[in-house]
This record gives sequence, C-alpha cells and structure tokens, in this order.
Amino acid sequence: MQRRTKETSPAVDVTGLSKTYAGGVEAVKDVSFTVAPGEVFGLLGPNGAGKSTTVGMLTTTVLPTGGSARLMGHDVTDDPLAARAVSAVVFQDAAVDRSLTGRRNLEIHARLWGVAAPAASQVIDELLDGFGLAEIAGRGVDSYSGGQRRRLEIARALVSRPHVLFLDEPTVGLDPRIRFELLDLIAGLRARSETTVVLTTHYLDEAERLCDRVAIVHEGRIVALDTPANLRAGLGAHLVELRVDGNASRALAKLRAEGLAGDDAFTVGATLTVPVHDLTPRQAVAAIAELDIATGGISARPPTLDDVYLRLTGDRLAA
Amino acid sequence: MTAITTTAPSARPPVAVPRPVSRSITAPLATLTRRRFALSARTPREIIVPLMTPILFSVVIAPALAKVTGAVRGIDYMSFVAIGTVGLLVPINCMFAGIGVIVDRESGARRDLLAAPIPRSLIVFGNLAVALAISALQVLALVGAALLRGARFDTHLSGVGLFAAAAALLAVAMYGGAETLANRVAKQEEYIGAVPAIAIVPWFFAGSLFPITALPSWLAAFAKILPLTHALAVMRYGLLDGRGTGLHDIWGMSNPTAMAALSLAVVAGYAALLLSVSVRVFTRSAVR
Repeated sequence: MQRRTKETSPAVDVTGLSKTYAGGVEAVKDVSFTVAPGEVFGLLGPNGAGKSTTVGMLTTTVLPTGGSARLMGHDVTDDPLAARAVSAVVFQDAAVDRSLTGRRNLEIHARLWGVAAPAASQVIDELLDGFGLAEIAGRGVDSYSGGQRRRLEIARALVSRPHVLFLDEPTVGLDPRIRFELLDLIAGLRARSETTVVLTTHYLDEAERLCDRVAIVHEGRIVALDTPANLRAGLGAHLVELRVDGNASRALAKLRAEGLAGDDAFTVGATLTVPVHDLTPRQAVAAIAELDIATGGISARPPTLDDVYLRLTGDRLAA
Repeated sequence: MTAITTTAPSARPPVAVPRPVSRSITAPLATLTRRRFALSARTPREIIVPLMTPILFSVVIAPALAKVTGAVRGIDYMSFVAIGTVGLLVPINCMFAGIGVIVDRESGARRDLLAAPIPRSLIVFGNLAVALAISALQVLALVGAALLRGARFDTHLSGVGLFAAAAALLAVAMYGGAETLANRVAKQEEYIGAVPAIAIVPWFFAGSLFPITALPSWLAAFAKILPLTHALAVMRYGLLDGRGTGLHDIWGMSNPTAMAALSLAVVAGYAALLLSVSVRVFTRSAVR
C-alpha cells in the first residue's frame, strides 16, 4: 500500500516541541518552526543547545514530552514509520557498517527504505559516481578516510530520495580541507529542489553559506529565526568593537549617555560591541575614540551571525 | 530586535511524491538477516569459537569418559554426552551472537537501522534468524563429529523433529536472553564477563553430563526449572532415549509423549517470554 503525502503540508512542521529527559533536564523547550519543501534550514547553536535532541525527535529516536512535529504531513509520534519513510538522516557520529563495503552499506539502506532493486542499483551507481566514491565502493568502509566515510553516509541518506534530509553536525571532527569539500557537496544538495534539508551546526560559515533560513537555538529555545542576511541586518550594516580596561558595562553606559550606543549594544567580558546605525563606521570609531575608553583597541566591521548570537545569548557561538 | 519568523517562505515549489510506507515485513526482515549474516561471516570467531569446546567434549572427553563410565541407563555415554554438548553449544553461540548487538551500538550502525521505516522489532528478529541458522549449522557439525567418533542416534522423523524443535526453542530463548543483556550492559567487556554465568554454569546442572537424579535434591529441583534441562531431555528422547528417562526425572510421569510435550511447552514458554522481553528492552533502549 502507498500513502500519499499531503501536498499542502510544509515539509517540516514543528509546534511547541519539548523534551524533558528523565532527571528533569529540559533539553528542548516549546520549539516551533516550519520548513518549506526544498528549503535548507539551519539549527544553529553551541553544543548542548538542544539541536541534536530536536533532530532526534524529528527522526523518531527521541520521544517528545510535549508538542508535535510532522514530516510531509506525517506525525512523528503517531505515525513514525511514515515519517521515517519520507526522511533520512546523516548522524553526527559515524553510523555505518565498517566491515561491509561502501556499496553494501548503500544497498542495505535502499532495501530498508523500500527502494526497488533495479532502481536502487541505478541510484547507487549515480550517487557513488557523484560523490567520488565509485572506485572505492567495493572496499570495506573501515579502510575509508574520515571524509570518504562522511561522503558515503550522505550518499547513503540520499539513496531513498528522501523528502527531508537531516544533517546533524555533518562536518564535526573533519580536517579543514575535507570539511570544505563536504560543504561544497552539501551546497550541491540545494540544487535538488525536491530535497528539504535540516542542518544542525555550530559553525557560522556553514549556516551562512548553506541555509535559506537559520534558527538560533539557545538553552533549548529558538531565540531568533530568519534568513542569515536578515539576522545580521538586525545589527545594522556595521558595528564597532572595542576592548576596555575595567568595567565594560560602565563604558557601555557612558556610550549610551553620549548617544553613541543604542539598546542593541552589548558586552561580553572586556569586549564592547556597538551596532552603528546613524553614523559611518569611521565616524563612530572617531567619536568613541575621543571618549578615551577603548584602551585595548577599537575597530569597525560588518556584523556576523556570531554577533547576533552573542547579543541574544551572551555566549560565543563557535570556538 | 530580531523578529522570529517561524513560517517558512515558499521559496521553491512544493513537491509531494507518494512514498512506500506500509509494506510487507518480509523484505526488510530478509535484508536485516542478510546484513547480519554478512557481518557474522566477517567475524569468524563468532562461528568458530562457540564450536570449539562442545566439539572437544563430544569427540575427545566424552569418548574418554565413556571408557570409564560405559553407559547411562543403557545409553552409550558418548552418545549421551554428545546430545549434552548441544546444550553447551547453543547457549554459547547465542551469547556470542549478542556481541553483534553491542558492536552495532558502539559502531553507530544501529542508528541508521533505527531511522529506517520498519518496525524496530524486526532488527531483533533479523539477528535472531542468523543466530538460529548458525546454531543449526553448528549443531549439525557437532552431531556429525559425534557420529564420526562412534555415537549412535535413532533417526526416525518424529524423533529428529522433536530434537530440532527443542534445540530451536532453546536457541530462541537463549538469544532472547543475549539480546536483552546486550541492550542492558554498557560495554562489551561487561557482556563477555557475564557469558560463562549464563551459557556455561546452567549446563552443569541440566543433566548434560549425568542424569539430574545424581544431583542433591535441592539442586535437582533447581535443574527442573532450567529451560536447558527440559530441552536436553526432549532432545535425548528424540534421538537416544525412547523411554524418556530424562523426562521421567523431571516430571515423574509414565507417558513419555506427554512429558515431552510438557517439556517442549516449558522451553517454548521460556522462548516466548525471553524473546518478548528482548524486543521490549531493545525498542525501549532505542528511543530516549
């Protein structure tokens, strides 16, 4: 029997999703968002923010304690088999049969996802070629490099042509060159308009480069959700960053009193960050320098998602 | 202040393709079984190691003891012990099969299986199918080795059927225990440490090397609640002991067919209980 997905449904529809683990740890708190078909959506936050728990609930390996979530119209709690049938996931840690060949791993995945054998064989060949794995497909995965194994895992997830693909911290632990290659590869997924991608990451460049929209997650809650450009635009075109000796909060109060800083200025340790709205960056730096409070240096630059995250949470996003 | 816009833009045209959801469990079960076979074939220790001790017992120790002991209640001792070693082989093999469950978990491979659109209990049944198949092959090897060494068995169809049923149900029960333990312990070392207590210790009390009537009465009473004792009595009734003396030691009745049915029911009860517990433990451990 085949079940039709609901054509009007968003690919991912999350409403009030919560997870409290045994012992009372609230990992996810009342999270809501929707993801359109074909969209690349990022969950951005540091380790422990609740991103992987959210993906766990969406992939039915973590049981929600509140709220609901639907994948292509299928409720992950009430109809988990249907939800799993329309999705695939690339896990943060390795999740392959290392003693089997790369091709065998893909074949097993295809069969478990119900891909008919002739179609599976063709799709697997295409993916192995497309991901540069054709020559090593007959080798045991335990002989693969970290990058090759990661590419295999992404290829495997695509064998069933999922409507929703979850990438949980796909580049963690990879060296910079392999990470860059993988980002290219994931960016290529955007061309597959039929695939909705939900990506979790704590790397800003990944979110900025890959995602149509980003949800910033902090302590289990979504504290901001918009396009990367709109999130940055909330801090203006430029900001001034200065290091101060002594009390940064007192320096901020002085800047506000002088009309050089607004409510969106913030401090982290000895660093004071001031979004610039009405002045040019050069004018703002000059005006602040005249106050003689920036003893450790002063500079102007465009805002990043890290600044957005810092302002919203008071924590740095990525090391 | 950044606005939170939780509704997705319709950036790209929605696509909705029918997806296969409800399908036969046969195909995914066959896939899981083939996967486990492929993995087992790459770790020959799982197949060879469990065979070593029982074969040694059957072809070296039992014949040596037979020269001293002669016969047990008119049954050639070597043949008596050959069947007894099946009660060692099956539990050891099933416990070794449980290591694969831990390897799946530690290597992360289990996570992709859990994300598959299949009932998660099928993962347990796929493992069980392989444990049963490998047990069957090993029992055939053991019986073959015993025959070559001079053991004698009655091979009428009903007897072979009883033997096979008892061995298969014992394997199901033991694999259920193995799967449960594998999902409860954190480390492979911890699991391996528990194997002798579960797979070997009961063997000494279950009438494997001598009738349970030779045990102190309290130990004989304990032996009667072990599934292995019932399985061995049925297996011997099927291939060796048409009078059902081992069954009589357990039940004290005079009708061997009835006693065999009762003992088979006991082993089946253990198999059903332990397998259902293992499925429950696995599915619970799979979801946080």
